[in-house]
Amino acid sequence: MTKAEVVAMILAGGQGSRLGVLTKKLAKPAVPFGSRYRIIDFTMSNCVNSGIEIVGVLSQYQPLALNTYVGNGHPWDLDRNNAGAYILPPYQRSGKSDWYKGTANAIYQNRDFLDDANPTYIVVLSGDHIYKMNYAEMIRAHIEKGADATLAVIEVPWEEAPRFGILNTKSDDVITEFVEKPANPESNLASMGVYVFTWSVLREALIEDETNPDSSNDFGKNIVPMLLNQGKKLSAYRYAGYWKDVGTIASLWETNMDILDRPEEINLVDRSWRIYSRNPVKPSHFIGPDASVVNSALTDGCRIYGNVVHSVLSNSVVVEKGAYVKDCVLFPGVVVKAGASIERCIVDFGTIIGKDVSAGANVSGESPYINKKLCSGGICVFERGLVIKEGAIIPANSMVDSDLKVAPEKSVIESTFRV
Amino acid sequence: MFTDAMGLILADNKKISLGELSSPRALSAMPFAGRYRIIDFTLSNMVNSGIKNVGILTYNKYKSLMDHLGTGAAWSLDRKNDGLHILPPYVNSEATSISGDEELAGLIDFLRTSRTTYVIVANSNIVFNTKFDELIKSHKQTGADISVMYNKDGLKSGKPFYILDTDKNGFVKDMLFNPEKSSSNKSSLGVICLRRDLLIDSIARQMAHGLTHFGIHSFVKMYDELKVHALEYNGVVLRINNVQSYFYSSMSLIDDAIRNDLFWNGEPVYTKVKDEAPTLYFDNANVGNAIISDGCRIYGNVEESIIFRGVTISKNTTIKNCIIMQDSHISENCQLENVILDKNSFVRPGVRLIGHRDYPVVIGKGAGI
Repeated sequence: MTKAEVVAMILAGGQGSRLGVLTKKLAKPAVPFGSRYRIIDFTMSNCVNSGIEIVGVLSQYQPLALNTYVGNGHPWDLDRNNAGAYILPPYQRSGKSDWYKGTANAIYQNRDFLDDANPTYIVVLSGDHIYKMNYAEMIRAHIEKGADATLAVIEVPWEEAPRFGILNTKSDDVITEFVEKPANPESNLASMGVYVFTWSVLREALIEDETNPDSSNDFGKNIVPMLLNQGKKLSAYRYAGYWKDVGTIASLWETNMDILDRPEEINLVDRSWRIYSRNPVKPSHFIGPDASVVNSALTDGCRIYGNVVHSVLSNSVVVEKGAYVKDCVLFPGVVVKAGASIERCIVDFGTIIGKDVSAGANVSGESPYINKKLCSGGICVFERGLVIKEGAIIPANSMVDSDLKVAPEKSVIESTFRV
Repeated sequence: MFTDAMGLILADNKKISLGELSSPRALSAMPFAGRYRIIDFTLSNMVNSGIKNVGILTYNKYKSLMDHLGTGAAWSLDRKNDGLHILPPYVNSEATSISGDEELAGLIDFLRTSRTTYVIVANSNIVFNTKFDELIKSHKQTGADISVMYNKDGLKSGKPFYILDTDKNGFVKDMLFNPEKSSSNKSSLGVICLRRDLLIDSIARQMAHGLTHFGIHSFVKMYDELKVHALEYNGVVLRINNVQSYFYSSMSLIDDAIRNDLFWNGEPVYTKVKDEAPTLYFDNANVGNAIISDGCRIYGNVEESIIFRGVTISKNTTIKNCIIMQDSHISENCQLENVILDKNSFVRPGVRLIGHRDYPVVIGKGAGI
């Protein structure tokens, strides 16, 4: 690896447990999004479009699909000779070995990787946000302000501020305090989880943080307060565009719907800032003679013979004649059989919704699959690789999980298969 | 799987012209089926057969073909050993123009660097999805010098075409070019398999006899001196010989059975990746029987049509039985029927363009209407 001015590190190791069955076999950044993307495509594409040539992807939880997806970085033009995409799992050492304990610890454990590239600045990113951002401009602001660390912030509505990590600032956007989920926020500047650090400063801070046994080795909780205590200069970088955290079922659904309802905000057709993804190699999609498709996003390989309303379909989805799909997010290879009617459903890879199934927001009743902890707003979620029984009825806020112990007569799962 | 064959694709055909559509590009670079170029099918067939070394023989207008093929990465042909080789006419420093001699001399050099026993040589005006394993197997079993693929399209193949007459063992005993009538319905697919050394010898011999142009059927024609065996192909074959057959072949993709044979029953068809956004259908979109590619924005009506990547169909506009190529924009209140609209065209509001089913209106690349 050659010396680089900037290295980006994408934190992609989290489980994303609030996405339930969707992340059972898959790390959250590899979850499909917006018809033809995976969540991590946005961060990866931002890096490349910002001119960053070395991108480390820190994977830990269920890394197989993510590692295969990122591969050698080719889809993002990151298959370079002396730079590119590097998948960085935790590894065994001659001394002490460990899983990544927290976001800061993950970077700490990859000191050697960073020292090889010996960057002046490092950009630390989350692999689970949907936004378009030029990190080069943020680094420029970091340099101009002479900051040791710069945190991207976005103004959120005051009533929502208690849900975020909030940064209190003084004049010239100098950060004075970081408060995680404040009950009575003093500011509405939420941290976006996008950090620029001067590497030498961060390196020291990470080493010091490791010596503290009480630390949870987290950027927001530990590193930022530590740097503030040390009197380092932390600067807020204001971002005003589209930005969404897709950490919950509700936000994943809502963010998908934004592609349909607010297409100009995330603007996927902007050719100056393309979002790159790994291509599924499928033919153009086909809309059959009696089909109806409105207010929806579709991509290669879909075959639609039924009705699709206000939905986001990934590649190779089949909707049979007489099926009705409304407000849904269907992942690659999902099949909706004739006569089925689904509304506000997120259906994972390959699952077959049987004939005449009725599922989703407009279906009421009792069901062992109802999961109000993870599902809200009537959204139903289906695990990957399920065959749903003909005529099954699945009420709002259900999460259909093959590991759930359900009496056979109440089960809606006919069989399961490997996707 | 180890396949002891290399591939050679003839990217152009001097006998075939698609008028305005083929004026900016080689025949094999013709856009097809929403997101492909014609060459993608033959090239994918070769790659899916395990062939790892492919030469593309071009003679002019190869810029768009080179843009499309790039390093061959989309077909996994960006390899250290072998891979994709574009063979433009070889011009030595003294020559001021390109003659056929040099085209063939360059080809022989390329063939000599390979180590495989066999070569599959294919024209690129045929769209089909197969693996050449059976061709190679049959070639070995029959002990033929040359094996040629055909199907039973017969006289409806569309000119130019070659009809093969065979004996009861399937060996070619006669070949007719564009016949008016024929007792045989075996129409060549323009795909042959032969030993690499035989191919090199034959080309050298043809050059010595003053032939300057390389054509697949000049080898098949050697049935008097060599054993030429014909192998039938039963799958879907779309022939592209002129504007009409390009239009019919494209439109036949609306048929589920044809589309399934080409795209879903066999191996994947690879093409250059464009990283377009998903296609968005808006409130009043009304689409039926249509093939639509990524990156489109559909506000209007589309019926029995093929829409390439990045096309906008505006409100109150109706597109019927049309082929609309990449990045074209159709404004509001337009009506287009039986039209082939080439890349990057712009149709202003209120335009009405009606062609005939048999004679579609063809609008050249980058037109403003």
